[in-house]
Amino acid sequence: MSQPAASLQGPLTNRRRFFADTSIGLGAIALTHLLSRQGLLGASVSGQEPIRPLIPPGQPYAPRPAHFAPRAKNVLLIFCSGGCSQLDTFDYKPELIRRHGQPLPGTEKIITFQGEQGALNRSPWAFRPRGQCGKMISDLVPHLGALADDLCFIHSMKGKTNTHGPGENYMSTGYTLDGFPSLGAWATYALGSADQSLPAYVAIPDPRGKPQNSVNNWAPGFLPAAFQGTEFNATTPIRNLARPPAFTAEHDQATRSFLRRLNERHAEQFPGDSQLAARIASYELAARMQLTIPELADLSSEPAHILRLYGADEGGSKTNELRAAYARNCILARRLVEQGVRFVQLFNGAYQTGGEGVSNWDGHKDLLNQYSLHGPVLDRPTAGLLIDLKQRGLLDDTLVVWCTEFGRMPTFQKGSQGRDHNPNGFTCWLAGAGVKKGFSHGSTDEFGYQSVEQIVTVHDLHATILHLLGLDHERLTYYHNGIERRLTDVEGDVVKNILS
Amino acid sequence: MPVDGAKRTATRNPIDAFIHVQLAAHQLSASPAADRVTLIRRLYLVLLGLPPSPAELATFVGDRKPGAFERLVERALADPRYGERWGRHWLDVIRFAESNGFETNRERPNAWRFRDYVIAAFNDDKPYDQFIREQIAGDTLGAAVGTGFLVGGPVDIVKSPDPVLTAQQRADELDDMVNTTGTAFLGLTLGCARCHSHKFDPISHREYYALTALFAGVQHGERAQPLPTPQQARLQALEARIRERETQLARFLLPPPTATNAPRPAVDFLRNDDRFPPVAAKFVRFTIRATTGGEPGLDELEVWAGDHNVALATTGTKVTASGTLPGYEIHRLQHLNDGRLGNDHSWISSEPGRGWVQLELAQTERVERLTWGRDREGRFKDRLATDYLIEVATEPGQWREVASSAGRKPFSGAPQPAPKPVYYFEHFSATDAAEGRQRLAELQSLRQERDSVAKPTLLYAGTFTQPAATHRLHRGDPMQKRERVAPGTLGLFQPRQLAPETPEPDRRAQLADWLASPENPLTARVIVNRLWQHHFGVGLVDTPSDFGRNGSKPTHPELLDWLARELVEPTVNPGPGPVQPWSLKHLHRLILTSATWRQANTPRPDALKVDAASRLLWRFPPRRLEAEAIRDSILTVSGNLDSTPGGPSFFLHEVDRENVYHYHPKEVFSPAEARRMVYAFKVRMEQDGIFGAFDCPDGSLVMPRRNLSTTPLQALNLFNSRFMLQQAEILAARLQREAGPNPAAQVQHAWQLAFNRKPARAEAKEAVAFTRTHGLAALCRAVLNANEFLFIP
Repeated sequence: MSQPAASLQGPLTNRRRFFADTSIGLGAIALTHLLSRQGLLGASVSGQEPIRPLIPPGQPYAPRPAHFAPRAKNVLLIFCSGGCSQLDTFDYKPELIRRHGQPLPGTEKIITFQGEQGALNRSPWAFRPRGQCGKMISDLVPHLGALADDLCFIHSMKGKTNTHGPGENYMSTGYTLDGFPSLGAWATYALGSADQSLPAYVAIPDPRGKPQNSVNNWAPGFLPAAFQGTEFNATTPIRNLARPPAFTAEHDQATRSFLRRLNERHAEQFPGDSQLAARIASYELAARMQLTIPELADLSSEPAHILRLYGADEGGSKTNELRAAYARNCILARRLVEQGVRFVQLFNGAYQTGGEGVSNWDGHKDLLNQYSLHGPVLDRPTAGLLIDLKQRGLLDDTLVVWCTEFGRMPTFQKGSQGRDHNPNGFTCWLAGAGVKKGFSHGSTDEFGYQSVEQIVTVHDLHATILHLLGLDHERLTYYHNGIERRLTDVEGDVVKNILS
Repeated sequence: MPVDGAKRTATRNPIDAFIHVQLAAHQLSASPAADRVTLIRRLYLVLLGLPPSPAELATFVGDRKPGAFERLVERALADPRYGERWGRHWLDVIRFAESNGFETNRERPNAWRFRDYVIAAFNDDKPYDQFIREQIAGDTLGAAVGTGFLVGGPVDIVKSPDPVLTAQQRADELDDMVNTTGTAFLGLTLGCARCHSHKFDPISHREYYALTALFAGVQHGERAQPLPTPQQARLQALEARIRERETQLARFLLPPPTATNAPRPAVDFLRNDDRFPPVAAKFVRFTIRATTGGEPGLDELEVWAGDHNVALATTGTKVTASGTLPGYEIHRLQHLNDGRLGNDHSWISSEPGRGWVQLELAQTERVERLTWGRDREGRFKDRLATDYLIEVATEPGQWREVASSAGRKPFSGAPQPAPKPVYYFEHFSATDAAEGRQRLAELQSLRQERDSVAKPTLLYAGTFTQPAATHRLHRGDPMQKRERVAPGTLGLFQPRQLAPETPEPDRRAQLADWLASPENPLTARVIVNRLWQHHFGVGLVDTPSDFGRNGSKPTHPELLDWLARELVEPTVNPGPGPVQPWSLKHLHRLILTSATWRQANTPRPDALKVDAASRLLWRFPPRRLEAEAIRDSILTVSGNLDSTPGGPSFFLHEVDRENVYHYHPKEVFSPAEARRMVYAFKVRMEQDGIFGAFDCPDGSLVMPRRNLSTTPLQALNLFNSRFMLQQAEILAARLQREAGPNPAAQVQHAWQLAFNRKPARAEAKEAVAFTRTHGLAALCRAVLNANEFLFIP
């Protein structure tokens, strides 16, 4: 876990000697020549020093100071996999209703992910004013609509890609390519966690399975593995967490004690070796997790009115059962937030199975029927989660972010009853610590096709989330393969307008 | 104290001299030599990735003649497990995996051949300059599989008619090739220059695109390995004998029935022939009026004048069409007559169910037959024309129908077996018939042999085509093309500027030469630094793939230079045989036989105060094993390891092969999964359920240096997983088998197998007591979790 020496801005004198001393390469001279010609000798890396948190090997989750006073202590991120349509939920466009059935101007030039466009299509769900603020929100998500006064919308999101894998990567890691660390990994790398007997970062996959780009959404990338999201939900426990059924607790504890003695004896030959100490400590933390996590994931202590609030108590139909399963994940998310888990990532929608849009928000062909399932499944449990967080005072310290990989087209696809992918304009919302309430930022054009005002990129959103956690996104770095890497690459501006 | 220490430690070769200079400058001293048990355990774990067996240990410890360690080093370097260990290090550097990545993440079923190639290259001590050349341009050097390097990275196979997306995907593929090449061989980060001139290194925006042009003809995909020359000769001989038999058998064939009314076979996805009486044609038109579904597709349209295909673009034929499905590189109109078969080089119409293509021949020809198919590689069964019309003309517009789908059996979807020739032996004399039957039997067996000899070996090693012009992309945006950029190398040293039209393979061959040149100031330094890193845990430059301005300074610059020079022009020979230039095993010998490598690992408070990370090498710094070495070591100690080398990968996941592939880590393992982990199917994204948590890279990005983090999930996996409990049981059974029923003997044997040493008296006593109370498997569970087991001493 060691880092390169803090010599990044060191002068090139040694390097020059390194090349000049060689007897095998004439090119050394060329390199230094080029360096000096381009004025790069002695140039500084950037205006400000990067901040690389020090990770104590034995306590990777030890709390670490933020760069400045944070507004939020933890983050709950809700990710709708598949590309949730802004036009059927939160982005009200009267012109789209008025011009229903007409072509989108310029459509003949637009080729989207699956090809050609049909006519503009209004949402099958009516929009009506909600809350004191009167925000227009559709009937697909009435329970969330009722919370309009607590939500802070960004209607001018802009993505970089119109395929799911790269889109999910972009929202979760800031890069369209595979292999980069996720937002939650960055946050826990920077800040550690308040609770030492739980993972600092938990990913809760949808009851139907992992999201489309799978574990990449909570991957550590090139950050140490300690910062990957630990994956479990209300039905599937952490792999290998449980004591093997063949063993009694006493047997298990005796084996652990024996192992500890083995390790301590070995460590006597290496006094002060932090890696060895870290491995000894990791077994202690694992043992604590073995006790705390099953307790935390056991929802049987939740009272009936809470189950009802989330919609976790109703069965009898496919929709109800799926909603109840997602609702239990929502309750689990609240319990994790309550325990001080730094970053919780909750998924609604799974990988593609059984066709497009069946298991997630990818409504290409049959929007009405597919969203008639996805809307109710998302709506009440997520609203219940927000209400519950609020009534427990947890929204004061917790930032809730609702997002998706991209939005959808205002047109229906040619010859189909659904909307194609659209990264040019989509909606995210935030709630809780540090953000305005009952507020909307930015907008798409009159049809909801492209973001036009106060455009917010995914990098901007990430910069804002880090800012609320008290982190400077330009300075939080990790060195990998020649580059001082950031979550936000070389972009990103904090969206100051939405901060409370 | 420092002076005494220096006196105590021998200087065995120039490496030690370089190390001692730095130590002295910091008032430090080297440590004494490690004991033999530590040495062999370290050597095996570093070089082979497995602990030594008690027998191997006994041989070394019992060798009292001078040079015992050198002999041990030679045995280890000749051990094929070396390539399995060090090949894996290289696969990290070049982001190799066997699935495509992104959400579809499909398999590359023959990518393992490249993995085996890398392992063999290390075992055979292939000169490193040749290893470079083969990975960049192996197709030009008789090492086809080497170019698996170029396409070892992820690729997004979700294609779309959206031209922006398509251009972006292609730019990402090329960026992956440029970046990996820069990282792996030059230790330079080139990716920054995709959008702007590099901020820290002398790499301009334009140079990046010159490099891109070198790779612009490389596409992801499989390629058939050319048949080796002896096999080709054998194939030719077989063909000749087949023709001979066919001639001999011709008289037994009755003449084909003339003009019957029997319907022709139904259209076939693979291949169809339409014959007609010879006719003069300058224009040929193929019109499709219905398909089996979707826009019609043709992979190739051949027009025969005698045995000449006059449709080929290379003969000057021009092709037009009603429309072409937009946005697909693989479905361009030009593919219709490019001579290449299969879906990847096919035309697809822009309209569902219909479309036409028209050929204008270079000159008027007497044509008599058309051959066409949907996908002659047999992968795609869709888009097949079922209702079509073939017309010819000598003057534009004066069409004349010569053939059509009329008269064919209706398409039923079932594959149509090719009609077999019928031999009428019963019409001949008994002697003739017997001879005929004999010839026919020979013919059949010859054909079988031919088919097996000719069967191509497929490699996921890329396909190559002459590329279109490369342009500089403003801010890296593929939709903002700027000036054309000719292929060329970096200006770093002796830059090679190639002509814009340089043929495809030459581009890569030139790059390979430039990279592998002894004059290249970076190549040798970067690889010797990587070797050093895997010996000592950290390289002399601790940013192994960044020798640029942004990387760290070397701790021992002169040593790095000296090692690089030893690689290129060896001067010292510590080994028994002759030394070749670019021999990596030569470098290993130098490092392994140095006193520096053979030092004890004991920490010393005074030295820790000055150099806590042991970067100056006042001791050998111990470190945790990586994921693969941990798993392999467990299987070795339990006696469960299947050491079969090479071949197709085994799976650590259950795979759901839907349109999008899903990989679920296995919970229960069979003997098929007891091979070394380098042979496990390397899937992107999804990690092994147990060892993935040990900072195992997934091949999405280059990983020149792994993290060695410690997490509670690792502890849970190693302490609780069914795999580990199973291995503990297997080890317990082994101990019982080999040491008998006495717990004291079992403990002794367990310590020998797992730690290569005897337990201390108190330790043994405690372990025996524990075993008596909790059982031998519990002891094994603890031993396989122990720090001592997981650390290189």
